[in-house]
Amino acid sequence: MTAQQQAPNAERMEDIREIVTEVLEIEPEELGDTDLFIEDHGADSLRAIEILARLEKRYRVEIPQSELPKMVNLIAVYSVLAQHADWQD
Amino acid sequence: MTEHGEIKKLLPHRHPVLLVDRVLEIEPGERIVTVKAVTGSEPCFAGIPDDAPADAYDFPASLLVESFGQSGALLWLHTMAEAGGVPPGVLIFAQARDCVIDGAARPGDVLRHEVRISSLKPTNVFLTGETWVGDRRIASMGSAMAVIRESDSLSPAPASDDTAAPAAATPMGEPA
Repeated sequence: MTAQQQAPNAERMEDIREIVTEVLEIEPEELGDTDLFIEDHGADSLRAIEILARLEKRYRVEIPQSELPKMVNLIAVYSVLAQHADWQD
Repeated sequence: MTEHGEIKKLLPHRHPVLLVDRVLEIEPGERIVTVKAVTGSEPCFAGIPDDAPADAYDFPASLLVESFGQSGALLWLHTMAEAGGVPPGVLIFAQARDCVIDGAARPGDVLRHEVRISSLKPTNVFLTGETWVGDRRIASMGSAMAVIRESDSLSPAPASDDTAAPAAATPMGEPA
């Protein structure tokens, strides 16, 4: 069976939104799914690393730092995570 | 046990900002236990008036967290040195989150930092742990982050007349 590209799991998406907004120090409802962390919310490279580390801890996965440039918004973060955590849903 | 002189071989900090006195235990990649003695002759206690209240001699939270961070940096640098080498660049205390300081240390107390690595990457590290005075926990540090960055990736510091404090990351003589 091959993994198919599916709509993000809503519960996980909210979970990720909470982690990211905690690091960005904004409210969850302020961060849209396609908002750019850097351009729209003033994130910098240190915040990006913090987001990565928190997601790794939360989902017990290893995400190489080379994935960082891809993780520009929530949708992109979800897809990187789905790949590394092998989410099928 | 690592004595003060050996600590200086790893940490770039110097008197009076080097806030780790001795390493009691170290497990590379895992944890470190350090001590820092607080004395009445600390620069931070200079000039306190005679009639100041007792808590005027609480070791400042900023220095407490810095001392904890230096201890973690020491663990990180030691871990990297054992694993083949420390990458070039400037060591930066990047962030501290969920730090709760619920006790005080005063002259005569010895801080004992117990620091653990929670995430280790090639150029950054996340640390967590507690600070104790004897059997009294005075601080818990949820997450502290240190990074190493190439000095040319950092912006120069603003121009300053104070020639005694050139920032390590600042190319000398460049206009701001």
